[in-house]
Amino acid sequence: MRNEEIEDSTKLMRNEGIIRFWILAVAMLLGMASCRPEEEHYTPTAYELEQPSYFPTKNNIPADNPMTEEGVELGRKLFYDTRLSGRDGTDGIRCCASCHHQEHNFEFGSATHTHHAMLPLVNLVWNRTGLGWNGGVATLEDMVLAAVTSPVEINADTNQVVKYLQKTSDYPELFYKAFGSRDITFINIERAVAQFVRSLVSADSKFDRYLRGEETLTEDEKKGYELFCTEDGADCFHCHGGGGLALMTTNLFYNNGLDDEFNDPEDRSAVTGSHWDKGAYKAPTLRNIAVSAPYMHDGRFTTLDEVINFYSEGVKDSENINPLMHHVMDGGVQLTDLEKAQLKAFLNTLTDERFLNNPNHSNPNQ
Amino acid sequence: MRARLLIIVLFTLLAAACNKTDGYGDLSVNIDYSVNGKALVTDSLCYTNEAGNTFMITEIQWFLSKMELQDERGEWQAIDKIFYIDTNIPESQTLTVASLPIGKYQTLRFTFGLDEEDNLTGLFSDPPESEMFWPDQLGGGYHYMKLNGKFVGAEGRLHPLAIHLGIGQNEDLTEFYQNYFTVELPIDFTIAANTENQLDLTMIVDNWFRDPNTIDFNEFGSHIMQNQTAQRLISGNGNDVFRTGKTTDMEKDNKLAEKFRNAMRLATPKPQFLSWKNVIECGMRNEE
Repeated sequence: MRNEEIEDSTKLMRNEGIIRFWILAVAMLLGMASCRPEEEHYTPTAYELEQPSYFPTKNNIPADNPMTEEGVELGRKLFYDTRLSGRDGTDGIRCCASCHHQEHNFEFGSATHTHHAMLPLVNLVWNRTGLGWNGGVATLEDMVLAAVTSPVEINADTNQVVKYLQKTSDYPELFYKAFGSRDITFINIERAVAQFVRSLVSADSKFDRYLRGEETLTEDEKKGYELFCTEDGADCFHCHGGGGLALMTTNLFYNNGLDDEFNDPEDRSAVTGSHWDKGAYKAPTLRNIAVSAPYMHDGRFTTLDEVINFYSEGVKDSENINPLMHHVMDGGVQLTDLEKAQLKAFLNTLTDERFLNNPNHSNPNQ
Repeated sequence: MRARLLIIVLFTLLAAACNKTDGYGDLSVNIDYSVNGKALVTDSLCYTNEAGNTFMITEIQWFLSKMELQDERGEWQAIDKIFYIDTNIPESQTLTVASLPIGKYQTLRFTFGLDEEDNLTGLFSDPPESEMFWPDQLGGGYHYMKLNGKFVGAEGRLHPLAIHLGIGQNEDLTEFYQNYFTVELPIDFTIAANTENQLDLTMIVDNWFRDPNTIDFNEFGSHIMQNQTAQRLISGNGNDVFRTGKTTDMEKDNKLAEKFRNAMRLATPKPQFLSWKNVIECGMRNEE
């Protein structure tokens, strides 16, 4: 063998040695890894929405936030927990439930204590037109972020909220069960609260039971329902539904003739840019409307009687009024006192006591 | 010899299989709208009907059902689908039908709206179709069409325009009348395999308001759901509302268009009530 050859073969052996060493090392590491206890893994239970057959089948649930029992329950806990403000003390700390009261259809129930009139948090899992009076907030997840950070709402810093909740003894485990990680993130806070809000389904009012053939309406309620559903009557159904659209709203946006001058920078036109959407706002659901005062986007009416009087004889004409306000040229639908009482009787059948008192939606932290 | 036979058999089978996959083609029907001989521009107060009313259209939402195509041998191919068509939803303006036998077709037939068999409350539980519901007190089911907009009334003020068609009633809401109708249009159309077979169908909007019944919006411009006379007169004009072809094709040789343009010039939008600062020229969307 020549010297070079000997050198080469030694090199080769040395290389083989190195390779063998590494194979052994990797194998050992793999062996050690397989000796470690199995990675823990918790699978949350899918949440089943309870809904009647006449409700929409298409739910507005984001693909990245499927509803689970654990997620809904965590969201419920957060919804009612002032620790969502990320701070201690009594300096006006708030949570969602500070303003969203179950007994008021998850509204406040008064205009004087909130900085804007509220929309109910009910049946929003079927809403597909954005949130808020102008529909400008795309998802419930976004709405949670907006509410937590708004200086006139929870007024919190998201990093602080996350840090604060991370230090608690109860939350990390609940986040693990809902989202697979004990490291709390604000996105998972948004997701949990949104899941809880999507679970708020109202479908057991007297009107529902009437639709299901389980209960009859009184003569006055029946007459009120007819007024509700007829153009020659109170003409409510185009925007607020009825038997064929039992969410009791289209969730669309209308200028309903409250005013004839429009200066609100946050009306529907702020979202669409269309002149014709000036003075237009979301038609809210009429479910539980009797307990959802104050009424209209600015909360200008405190009673249902005022609302009915407005639609009867207070409608103002403008070029922006929606074409579905057929009776604008007469100033409204011109109801008699009896008809007003009948219409109100029907609206009262939309109150869902089971929903307003449902223990699954109440404060779990008490 | 046997091998050759096998090859022949194989080829025959293959050809048969090819024939089978080539035997069907898909159809797209593109919906278009024309007003006064031009393509519809929504939210533009620039149109005139035969009665001389100036109007604009915000949206048109309607159902087309029971579509059928008649081939050259006279056989009908039924399309078991209800189409909801909405000017606010661009994708709804194309009606897609899968797997029609290839060949020549001579007639297109469909129902404007929904017939007794289809028009039942609860048929749709999801929006946007469910938003078309027609209250049970008024006969139930769904609007055949909502045509919403504004018109200038006789006194010069802007009024709601809401041409809503559906089941009619007597005054006591105890008897109900079907107002849907069947449209039959001659076509010269071939469905071929592996190509986009596109058929254009145009709604000539102003024809709803003329021939034989001239519709004055001051009389029948809105809240007509409980007005069977209006339902009957407007549905009665439906014969020539639909045409195959695109709006742009019609503009070229449509004498009606010229007639309406003249009518528009003579029409009198002389508003005393509004400043019209936001009213816009035909074909231009307004911007604040």
